[in-house]
Amino acid sequence: MSDDHHHERPRTPVEDRVDALEALMTEKGLLDPAAIDSVVEYYEHAVGPLNGARVVARAWSDPEYHDRLLADGTSAIAELGFGGPEGDHMVVVENTEQVHNAVVCTLCSCYPWPVLGLPPNWYKNAPYRSRMVREPRVLLAEMGCAVPEGVEIRVWDSSAEIRYLVLPLRPTGSEDLDEGELAALVSRDSMIGVARL
Amino acid sequence: MNGSSILDAGLADPSLPRDNGALVFDAPWQGRALAMAVLAVERTGSEWDDFRAELIGSIEGEPERPYWESWVVALDRFLLATHVIARTATL
Repeated sequence: MSDDHHHERPRTPVEDRVDALEALMTEKGLLDPAAIDSVVEYYEHAVGPLNGARVVARAWSDPEYHDRLLADGTSAIAELGFGGPEGDHMVVVENTEQVHNAVVCTLCSCYPWPVLGLPPNWYKNAPYRSRMVREPRVLLAEMGCAVPEGVEIRVWDSSAEIRYLVLPLRPTGSEDLDEGELAALVSRDSMIGVARL
Repeated sequence: MNGSSILDAGLADPSLPRDNGALVFDAPWQGRALAMAVLAVERTGSEWDDFRAELIGSIEGEPERPYWESWVVALDRFLLATHVIARTATL
């Protein structure tokens, strides 16, 4: 075994296929290596769940923003400078003492990129996509998110043109925190609805 | 329960979005495939939904295939449909 096994690893067919497509797109003038690097860099570092946490913290802190966010998610999220692919039709669903919301994409992997970044692996897998619809309470409990009996679970399928973001319940005991401190409380999973704060 | 205990409990959660630098790809080719789809949609003047329709079809056609491989199949079909390529790059 080589010390530098990353370089020795045999290439897989899918890697060859990506190379072939990249060469074809380059030949057509559709891309260059710098463009690819800048898009990858953007999705690895510039967008992610911190954006969504800022949206949630603002909604918790500012009642008028809260109302705008629920009325027109796309515009209210754009106010904070977040938008782009997979962010055109954003709908924010609010958790209450009576209702817990959770998001799935049953057909593929639709996900609100501008506020959550790219989806985690489990979100894209068949078991999550089917079981969240069939038995959400059981699945959520398995994921460590026990929803109390008596709290209704609403599951939102992102496979239409809409991308959903869950507005979690503001934790009790957080009354004295400022917006930045609140944002630090908001996990990615709570905004998908597979965790409660 | 007071504010600081909530804060402490929250900060122990590894899924917290303290920054946006989470690793999102298992291998570099996955990031390149994502970027190629984003750029292909943008530079052919298409809608993101056009690519998404190919992705849905690709996943539906072979549900057990790993996600990013289905993504590459969708990209291949999208490039065919938009006449960027004349034939599939399937090897």
